Amino acid sequence: MADLIDYLQFVLAPQALNGLSLGVAVVLMALGLTIIFGLLDVINMAHGEFYAMGAFLALTLAGLGVGFWALLVLVPLLMLPIGWLAERWLIARVFHSRDRHILTLLLTFGLGMIMEDLLKLVYGPNTQRPENPIEGGTEILGMFLPNYRLFLIGFGLALIAAVWVVVFRTGLGAMVRAAAFDKDMASSLGVPVRRVYAGTFAFGVALAGLSGVLLAPIYSVFPTMGRDFILMAFTVVIVGGMGSIQGAVIAGLLLTQVQALSSLYISPVWSDPLVFGIMVLVLMVRPQGLFGRLGHA
Amino acid sequence: MPEATLRSLSDPGRAGPASRLSRLAPVHWLALAFLAAALGFAAVAWATGNGFYLRLATEALIFAGLAMSVDLLLGYTGLLSLGQALYFGLGAYVSALVLRDVAPSFWLAMAAALLAGGVAGLIGGVIANRVKGVYFALITFGLAQVAAKSVYNTRALGASDGLIGIPQVSIGFGPFSLDTADPLSFFLLVLGLTVAAYAGLAYLMDAPFGRTLAAIRANEKRVPFLGFNAWRYKLAVYVLAACVAALAGALYPMLRGFVSPELMFFETSGNAVITVIVGGVGTLVGPVVGSLLLTALRSVVGSWTEHHLIVVGVIFMLSVIFLRKGLVGALLARLGRRSEQGRATP
Repeated sequence: MADLIDYLQFVLAPQALNGLSLGVAVVLMALGLTIIFGLLDVINMAHGEFYAMGAFLALTLAGLGVGFWALLVLVPLLMLPIGWLAERWLIARVFHSRDRHILTLLLTFGLGMIMEDLLKLVYGPNTQRPENPIEGGTEILGMFLPNYRLFLIGFGLALIAAVWVVVFRTGLGAMVRAAAFDKDMASSLGVPVRRVYAGTFAFGVALAGLSGVLLAPIYSVFPTMGRDFILMAFTVVIVGGMGSIQGAVIAGLLLTQVQALSSLYISPVWSDPLVFGIMVLVLMVRPQGLFGRLGHA
Repeated sequence: MPEATLRSLSDPGRAGPASRLSRLAPVHWLALAFLAAALGFAAVAWATGNGFYLRLATEALIFAGLAMSVDLLLGYTGLLSLGQALYFGLGAYVSALVLRDVAPSFWLAMAAALLAGGVAGLIGGVIANRVKGVYFALITFGLAQVAAKSVYNTRALGASDGLIGIPQVSIGFGPFSLDTADPLSFFLLVLGLTVAAYAGLAYLMDAPFGRTLAAIRANEKRVPFLGFNAWRYKLAVYVLAACVAALAGALYPMLRGFVSPELMFFETSGNAVITVIVGGVGTLVGPVVGSLLLTALRSVVGSWTEHHLIVVGVIFMLSVIFLRKGLVGALLARLGRRSEQGRATP
C-alpha cells in the first residue's frame, strides 16, 4: 500500500502536473486554431509560426528592457495587426472561391514557410533561452514544482476562462457565433462580417503569440519551435471537434495527460505516434470530433 | 453517364475531335517539348561530363513522380493529400531493403515497392476515404505522421540514420543492360519511366475512369445518381496514386545509395504539394515541370543563400492566388488564346 502511495506521489502526480502545464499551453494554441476554424473554416497552418513569432518578439522586447508582465500585454497587441493583415490580404482573397478550404490551407502553409525562414534570417537558427521570469519553486505534497509552471497553469486557466467569457457572454462573442452559424443572415442583421472575420483571425493569432511569450522560458526559442507544438495542437483541435471551444479544452488536457502518463510506460519517442494514432482514429470514427462546432451548439 | 456530360465536366483544354495530329491536346505538346528539352539537357551534360547536374535532374524527376501522384488526387479528384510522402518513403525503404538484403535486382525492387504501395494504399485509402474535404487532408497528414515517426523510432530500419550502403545495380533489358552508377544512363532510364508514367496516367485520365474522377471533383453528390460508386473510384485513384508514389520512391535509393526517414516527413509531402501548385494542378505535366524548376531554383538560390524557403514560399503563395492552374496552366491558356485568334482570322 505504501508503495502504491509513493508511486502515486512521486511518479504519477509529478508527471500529471507536468502534463497539465503542457496541456494548458497546448489548449491556448488550440483555442486560436479552433476559433479560426469554427468561424472562417480556415485551417491555419501558419499558427505554429505565429507562436514562434510571439516568442521572438518577446525576446527582442525583453532585450530592449521591457519587463515580463508588460510583454504579456504588449506582444499580443503587436500580433493583432499582423493577424488582421494576414486575413485581409491572404485569406479574404480566396475566401469566396469554391475550393477555399484547400486554398486557405495552402496559403497559410506558404505563409508559415516564409515566416519560419524570415525568423531564421533575422535571429539565426540557434536556440535561445530567455531567463526565467519567476524564479524558485514550491513544495506541494512533497513534490517540488517550479513556480513558473504553477504560474503558467494558473494564468493559462484564467485566460481560457476569459476567452470563454468573451465568446459566450459578450456582444462581440455573439457576433462571432452568429457569423459562424450563418454569415449571410448575420450580415443582413447588421453584423460587420468581414471585420468580424479579420478580427477573429487576429484574435487567434494574438493568442498564439501570447502562448509563445508564456512558453519561451520553458521550451526555449528557435525558429522551428512551432512545428512540434502545432502538430499536438492540431491533434487536440481534431479530437475535440474542429471549431469547438470546450472540445479544445477537454481534448487538450486529456491528450497531454495521455502523452505524459504513457511516457512512463512506453518509450517517450512512441508517444507521438500514439497521439497521432488517436487523431487518425477519431477522424475515422467521428470526424466532427467529440464536441459540436462554434455557433452550432 | 452520357459522353457529352463527362466531356463538359472535364478540362476544356483536353482533346477535342479533329484529325489525328491535332487530337493531341496542347498539354501533350508541352510534354513533348519538355521531353525534347530534357534530352537536350542530357546531351549537353554528357558532352561536358557533368555528373552532378545529371544526378540533380534525376532526383527532380523522381520527386516529379511523387508530385504526379499528388496531382492525380488533387487535380483530378479534388482530394488534397498532405501525406503522400508516406507511400514515397515506403517505396524507398522497400526498394532499399530488397536491394541490400534480398538481391540487387532492379525489377524485383520495383515489383516489391509496387506491391507494398498497393497494399498500403488500399489500407490508407479505406481509412482516409471515410472523410471528405479538409478532414481528408488532415487524416492523410496524420497517417503519414504515424508512419514516419514509427520508422524514425525503429532500430531495425536504421531509426533516424536511415539505411545506408544500398548497392548500385545493373538493370537488364533482355540483351541490353544499364548501370545505376552511370549518371547519364540512369537519368535516361528515369526520364523514360517518367514519360511512360505521364503517358499512361494521361491516357487513364482521358478514359472513362478519369472522366468519372472529374465528375467527382465537380460534384460528388451527383455522381451516385448517374450510377457510379464515388467511394470506389476515390479508393481506386488513391491506390493508384500510392503505387505511383511508391514506384517513384523505389528509384531514390538507386540514385543516392541511402534512404532516411526524412523521405516520409511532412516536408516531403508539403514539397510535393508546392510542386503541383506551382507547376500546374490537373495537368500531370505541371508537376514534372514544377519539380525541375523548383529543383533548379533551390540549387541556384541555395548557392548564394540558405534562405531559399522564402523565395519558394513567395512563388508558391503567388501561384495559389494568381495562377489557379500553375505555370503550365497559364502557358496553356496563353497558347489556347493565340490558337483561337489564329482560327478566327483565316
